[in-house]
Amino acid sequence: MKEVLRIALRNVLRHRRRALITAITMMVGIGLFIGMDSMLEGVDRMSIENMINLSDSSVRIYTKAYDADRQSLPLENGIADPAAVAAKLASDHRVVASTERTQFVAQVSNYRDATYAVGNVINPVTDARVFTLKDHVVGSFFGTASPGTVDRRVVMGKSLAGKLGLKLGDTVVISARTRYDAQNADDFLIVGLLSTGDPVIDASSFFITYSSANDFLDLGGLVTEMDVSLVKHANLSSMERDASEVALLVGKAFPTLRPYTFQELAKSLIEILKVKRIWTYMIILVILLIAAVGIANSVLMSVYERIREVGVLKALGFRKREVVWMFTFEGIFVGLAGSFLGAVLGILIDWFLVGTGVSLGKSAESVSASAGMAFGSTLYGTWNWGTITFAVLFGLTVALIAGYIPARRAAKMTATAALRFV
Amino acid sequence: MGIILKLEGVKKVYQKAERSVEALRGIDLSINRGELVAVVGPSGSGKTTLLNIIGCLDLPTSGNVIYDGRELGSMNEKELAIYRKENISFIFQSYNLIPVLTVTENVELPMVIERRYGRKEMREKAMEILSAVGLAEMADRFPRELSGGQEQRVAIARALVKDPIVVLADEPTANLDSHTAEEIVELMEKMNEARETTFVFSTHDSLVQRHAHRVVTIRDGLIKADDAITERRVEV
Repeated sequence: MKEVLRIALRNVLRHRRRALITAITMMVGIGLFIGMDSMLEGVDRMSIENMINLSDSSVRIYTKAYDADRQSLPLENGIADPAAVAAKLASDHRVVASTERTQFVAQVSNYRDATYAVGNVINPVTDARVFTLKDHVVGSFFGTASPGTVDRRVVMGKSLAGKLGLKLGDTVVISARTRYDAQNADDFLIVGLLSTGDPVIDASSFFITYSSANDFLDLGGLVTEMDVSLVKHANLSSMERDASEVALLVGKAFPTLRPYTFQELAKSLIEILKVKRIWTYMIILVILLIAAVGIANSVLMSVYERIREVGVLKALGFRKREVVWMFTFEGIFVGLAGSFLGAVLGILIDWFLVGTGVSLGKSAESVSASAGMAFGSTLYGTWNWGTITFAVLFGLTVALIAGYIPARRAAKMTATAALRFV
Repeated sequence: MGIILKLEGVKKVYQKAERSVEALRGIDLSINRGELVAVVGPSGSGKTTLLNIIGCLDLPTSGNVIYDGRELGSMNEKELAIYRKENISFIFQSYNLIPVLTVTENVELPMVIERRYGRKEMREKAMEILSAVGLAEMADRFPRELSGGQEQRVAIARALVKDPIVVLADEPTANLDSHTAEEIVELMEKMNEARETTFVFSTHDSLVQRHAHRVVTIRDGLIKADDAITERRVEV
């Protein structure tokens, strides 16, 4: 076997250029596969994290009655005792914070033009513990209200404001039905503009405080949802597990409530991400198959160039399996070099993506809008050693198969047929 | 000297598309141990087929090949491979050295395959035979660095290194100029005398035939003449 290895290795070295081109094809295929996976994993993670941080939180709680009709955002069927729920949540070590929200449908206007938007009634202090909206605001995230005055401040999505030609410090007219179905409208001062990258928030949402909504919407402290922030983990599956467990806990403690985990809320997003990933993997698979064809071609050329050599070796006493191994080893050597170089390239790409990331620059907003989900201004990759190992093993398997098939053909020839081969 | 190889009514039919080609049409031939036998005849007469059948590279369609009293037709594939490995060596027209191996490594190859010798012993035997064929100083070169004559010498060294009983050489001088061809046959003659190795070689070259103990003439798959060279010389 040592001699077989020696002949195979020397044959690879003899055709350096051919072997190098094949190995480079493979290197590019594997490197791209690793890099793309890192980027996709990073995008997935960023999308889900942004969704948790900006809109859905880790666990969202409604009452079952509200849940049945929540698409129309009714101002009824609120959580009876939000303080009790908050206290229960606070007792769990996985819970970082919880906050209350009430959503409603409203019309916003600049006195001339009007558009519909989703209003979010929040407690700015507790909301900032669960969501990161505050980090994306230009102006203030409410700050302190002037004592003795009616609170009429609003933080609007930047795109929504832009659509109406409004800017920070302008007044917007918000018109909505109160809890008791009366129509109310009032001027609100824009104290902050949100630019989160999430098209739903930026283009169709605004936020007001409970102190203003209790008066403006006759809310009377109605809380239609509670949002919970959980301890962050490095991997998504641990976060999913925690969310499921906390949701279960709430569901058991408060049978009238319907808690949703972020993975339930982001079900369609996660499905979209999966489909996107499958297609990307298909493309990468094609690249790897091209590399496989390269190896097969390289070994096949080697086989045809050396058919007579096979005849000689067989005449000298080489067995069929030794001939097979000789050519298969050639494929493996090329595959090994290609896979190793591919892994190195992939690690370098990952290193760049994880450390520096890809800056979307000014296009971040349009990318978020077209993708329908929030991205930051920089896309970061993630380390995925499982993918790196898979890519290397895949490369080697492909090389093994690509080398084995032509090798078997060569070995099947009789010595006389091989010696006659011109 | 006793008979080492005996062919009885050997026929070989090749099936080419829907046409049958009779390469050998009933060969009866006995070869003695230590003989230097030249098989001559025009192209397509069946010389190579005969050598391939003797060397077990090909099987006869009918008839028997008896080696040292044992019928090869009764052997299975594995036994035939062992027979070939232990008793027969080949020299090819195009030398067919392994281009990625050095001269020494090429010569060592049959011993490596046989797995009978240690590393040191293999090297010693290879160097000994390379000295015998006058190529000791070329030991570390690769085939591409040698002339045609030198390559064929290496091929002879490779064929002889494991002390085979029979060496089969298919047109060993066909690619060489007459002077080098003469040298190669002289070398085979020398090795035949020194080691008592049986040589069976096919050739077109009348100069080369002169060195043989016996010339077997084959035409259209049949032996037309089987002459001891001394008798032929007397006739001439």
